[in-house]
Amino acid sequence: MIRGIFVFAFALATLVTVALPLSIADAQTKFRLGIDNDALSMDPIASSDNPSIWVQLLLYDTLVRPSVDALKVEPGLAERWSISPDGREYTFVLSEAKFASGRPVTAEDVVFSLQRAASDKSRWGRFFRPIKRFQVLDDRTVKFGLDQPFTPMMANLALFSSAVLPKAEVQKDESAFFAAPNGSGPFVLKRWAKGERIVLAKNPHYWQKGKPYVDEAEIQVIAEDNSRVIKLQAGELDAVIKIPINQVRALQGRPGISTGIADIFRVDFVQLNTRKKPLDDVRVRKALNHAVNREAIVQGILFGTAKLAVSAVPIMTYHNENLKPYAFDPGLAKKLLAEAGYPNGFSITMLLSAGDVTWRQVAAAIQDDLRKVGINLTLRQIEGGTLFTTTKSGNYEMALSYASSDTIDPDQLIGFTSINPERANAFHTEWKSARVNELYELERKTPDGEGRGKMFKEMNAIVHAEAPYIFLYHQNATFAVRSNVEGFRILPTSNWRLEEVRLK
Amino acid sequence: MGFLAYTFRRLIEMVPVLIGITLAAFLLLRVMPGDPATLILGTRGDEKDIAALQAQLGLDRPLWEQYFRFVLDVVRGSFGQSIAYGRPVAELILQRLPASLWLVAYSTVLAIVMAVPAAILAALRRGGAVDLMLRGLLVFALATPSFWLGILLILALGLKLGLFPVSGYGEGVGSHLWHLFLPSLVIALTTAAIVMRNLRSSLLAVLNADFIDSARAKGLSSRRVLLRHVLPNALISAVSVLGVHTSWIIGGTVVIEAVFGVPGLGNLLIASIFGRDYPLVQGLTVAFAILVVLVNLATDLAYAAIDPRVSLD
Repeated sequence: MIRGIFVFAFALATLVTVALPLSIADAQTKFRLGIDNDALSMDPIASSDNPSIWVQLLLYDTLVRPSVDALKVEPGLAERWSISPDGREYTFVLSEAKFASGRPVTAEDVVFSLQRAASDKSRWGRFFRPIKRFQVLDDRTVKFGLDQPFTPMMANLALFSSAVLPKAEVQKDESAFFAAPNGSGPFVLKRWAKGERIVLAKNPHYWQKGKPYVDEAEIQVIAEDNSRVIKLQAGELDAVIKIPINQVRALQGRPGISTGIADIFRVDFVQLNTRKKPLDDVRVRKALNHAVNREAIVQGILFGTAKLAVSAVPIMTYHNENLKPYAFDPGLAKKLLAEAGYPNGFSITMLLSAGDVTWRQVAAAIQDDLRKVGINLTLRQIEGGTLFTTTKSGNYEMALSYASSDTIDPDQLIGFTSINPERANAFHTEWKSARVNELYELERKTPDGEGRGKMFKEMNAIVHAEAPYIFLYHQNATFAVRSNVEGFRILPTSNWRLEEVRLK
Repeated sequence: MGFLAYTFRRLIEMVPVLIGITLAAFLLLRVMPGDPATLILGTRGDEKDIAALQAQLGLDRPLWEQYFRFVLDVVRGSFGQSIAYGRPVAELILQRLPASLWLVAYSTVLAIVMAVPAAILAALRRGGAVDLMLRGLLVFALATPSFWLGILLILALGLKLGLFPVSGYGEGVGSHLWHLFLPSLVIALTTAAIVMRNLRSSLLAVLNADFIDSARAKGLSSRRVLLRHVLPNALISAVSVLGVHTSWIIGGTVVIEAVFGVPGLGNLLIASIFGRDYPLVQGLTVAFAILVVLVNLATDLAYAAIDPRVSLD
């Protein structure tokens, strides 16, 4: 009988299947990508989550944009630009781009969008507030005036939040505009089934002729990692991002599927509260760095895919190649601990975000390594949303965490992780170096080039030596594509240019 | 009391329940550490930026004022503005509600379709091979984590056999029935097991009752005895079990929605809690509460329809 019921149920389902008006395959090419979370908003100044940013980068354009290797900015809507020798005037000349509606992008639109991005209601205001004067020189030329030179400005102008929007339409009705945005990017938003999928259609007026190569890009939201991967295997998706790191190798062997591991602007570390004993002693902090076998963590837990970290910023422009990761040397760690007055080690607590398997494994590995030099590490898992506020309150000793850069200029993250006070008291470590603070002020006024590079290298060398963190590694981003997909990759800024994707 | 009057009275009774729920949801969120402004700005803001954003979101107001504004938003029907989405909470909930309702209704129907015949069979062949097998299946269904079973079904029926889509929701009634079959089946198995166990023992109790003997003595066919006398009497408790369990399903679809990529309320709730989207969490809590209260009401009405001894008052 029970079998009969199952047969009945399946018969029912099969009937439904057959009765379905099957979607007729058309000649249009459609690229289907699986991601883990839905976008929240299409308003660039109100977004800070990755999916919203990724989709907006496909809908809108910025004056300049990061190059594919993210080492410099390249033309976006602006075909050329110049910066005055005193670093206070930026002039941009727009290329002949059009919004998806067919209307040309004008200097008025640029000024309106930048002023909006710098306004009080913008969540990215601090990135654009150094611009004090906005000037429309003609339909295709704009000039920005700063009170003092601010070198990270160019990288900030390549941020998605400075996207150029059509002034008249946004001013008329913001919520109507962002429900059906009209940008100059490679795609237009065709349909957004909230929580399920975002369908993008090719923008016929896109300024890079010939792109995008596909007619449609469909971004599907599947929260569960395993389901996303199975969907790729079943051919219901052409590409997926965020495959569980332990499945990368297994997937690589499957016919018709290839996996990718991309370096992104991210750094993973353990914050050390330098106000708390014994972490106030630099010898103890160095000992911790020597005691952790980061190479083994990367090999064992991250499957050998991550680079080792030497400081608290990602590997990006002006990276200090001379810095080598702290050697794994428990003997040296013990010696340093003895010198600091802890020959028998000590007991200490480390916070970590609950629910993340990789981090739990990394924390356990650190715990094990520290035990070998006499340090008794207690792990305390707390909900992810409270980790930041807890370390901010100063009520912690150690915390496993990470930082990722929004811009391609190391200024953003060095300011966050290494400068005190700046925005976060060196990411809540409370560590402070007068020299690093001084270099930070200087770097921001120095034009790009070798001189500025030296400043970053010196700052990172000091952070490395003073070790307000246990520097761990730079976690990668993973993805997998079916063999008919060409040109899909994750950029260092962690987004993707779907306009470059081709289907064979 | 009439059906309409009863329903109306029950709906009025919901009001204090809902006030209690809004208060609980509001206060629980406020005692939870972490705040939306800090989470949104992350590495990008200093104290001043955070304070400005808090002011913009109205989080710098006294608690009683924030609560009052929330209740006002509920009365107005917008439920407030989501912090993450920048859209009215009611709009976001209505977008996601259909998928969740489909899942709950579909799995309830599947559960009944599986449980009732199985329970009758097991009760009639008590102690027989069929009974033992069904009870074995029951233990399996209750002991299996739905998450794991879901992945297995996707692998077997979705990937290997290609009978069902691996995930998604589809468009149109037929497509929904097709896409939601596997997730509904996974949810239905647990419900079916619980209902079946309950129905089987009620059936056994009724089968041994004196009035059944007298019905048989009257010369009624066993089919008629079963359908007219045994089943209606046994169903009463099964209905209340099903009602209680349906309320549980409403809260428990979260995992299944994530595994099968169903754009329902569960996924929205999880994301909004992690992001400390206070208005959205509050709105969803109220929405879930309303659903549960409505299911309880429907259960009571069904109860009255089956059992003539129950009067609506």
